[in-house]
Amino acid sequence: MNTGKVSRITAIALGLALATTMASAQALNSGAQTIALNATLAESLTLSLSANAVNFTLAAGSAANAGSTNITATTKWVLKPGRTAVGVYAYFANAGAALTDGTNNIPSSAFFISDNAGPSTALNSSVAFGAANGGMQLANVAITGLNKSATRTDLMAFNINLTGGTLPQLPASVYTGTLNIQAQATP
Amino acid sequence: MSLRLQIGRAGAVLALAVSALITTSQAQVRNSGASTITLQAVLSDSLTLSLSGNAVNFTLTPGSANNPGSVGVTATTSWALRPSVGRVRVYAFFASSAAALTDGAGNNIPSADFQISNNAGPFTALTTTVPFGGANAGLLLSSTRIRGNNRSGSHTDLMNFNINLTTLPNLPAATYTGTLTIRAQAI
Repeated sequence: MNTGKVSRITAIALGLALATTMASAQALNSGAQTIALNATLAESLTLSLSANAVNFTLAAGSAANAGSTNITATTKWVLKPGRTAVGVYAYFANAGAALTDGTNNIPSSAFFISDNAGPSTALNSSVAFGAANGGMQLANVAITGLNKSATRTDLMAFNINLTGGTLPQLPASVYTGTLNIQAQATP
Repeated sequence: MSLRLQIGRAGAVLALAVSALITTSQAQVRNSGASTITLQAVLSDSLTLSLSGNAVNFTLTPGSANNPGSVGVTATTSWALRPSVGRVRVYAFFASSAAALTDGAGNNIPSADFQISNNAGPFTALTTTVPFGGANAGLLLSSTRIRGNNRSGSHTDLMNFNINLTTLPNLPAATYTGTLTIRAQAI
């Protein structure tokens, strides 16, 4: 047997050995089993208040009749794509009688709120809720990709101005009313 | 001895001889040629994986680290392997690391925020590149060494799931869906 033939046989043997080794090293895979995942992040918009009562000691004809306490409104939201704004509103159901003793009224235009130390503003606008000319917008938050889930606080300080119209002649009495705070995400 | 007696004896001897000859001839066995049957028993190598369930739901809380899946899923891996196989590994993976779950509107939950606790172990994110699925989108659930006594065997992996939203505090409200795949490999 010549050297060339020996070399060929050796090469074939090595090739077979390599092929066998490679076959042994091939991975055996199972079938792929799947699990369907469904995660729901529900849309939500909530508003809570730090307190639910404010008292006023009125001075006849006075512009400054501050509320006994400030109240913070905390608005939280998780919104769907497409929402562009969150508005927070304060309003009365009746603009002519925001507070009343049953006969005599204090209109919403004499009721003021200073939001987050801003200027004191009368509730004389028509807003998304409540009576015409009986509200004000406390906040308008633009919604972007960075705040689809977020929180906002509005610290409200209250005042009743008894200088307008016939209010300087307001009779002594106990006047009660309900101020509503509500948020809205649009559109 | 009379001739008649001699003839009688000779006849008796002849009858005995013929009888013996016939008896000897009948007792000899006769064998056919041997026909062979080639036997071949093949125990094919196999690797199968089955799941106890194929759907998991999540109710998400924005920004929360703990959003557990509604149910655990057990993966049962069974095998019959050749002697050359050294290990059986079980993997969980997504096709895409960036969008493990998606709302289809461009908002995604990456695989890095999807976690599996296997057999009551720690929750681990799917951030590893494994033999299947997307880069950085997988997790090695288990690795079983194959020895002489478990070339035919099985293994169970009880998976519990969680979505961690701490890195996604602004994820918008939506329904996010995805497909988690479980697969085994023997090598």
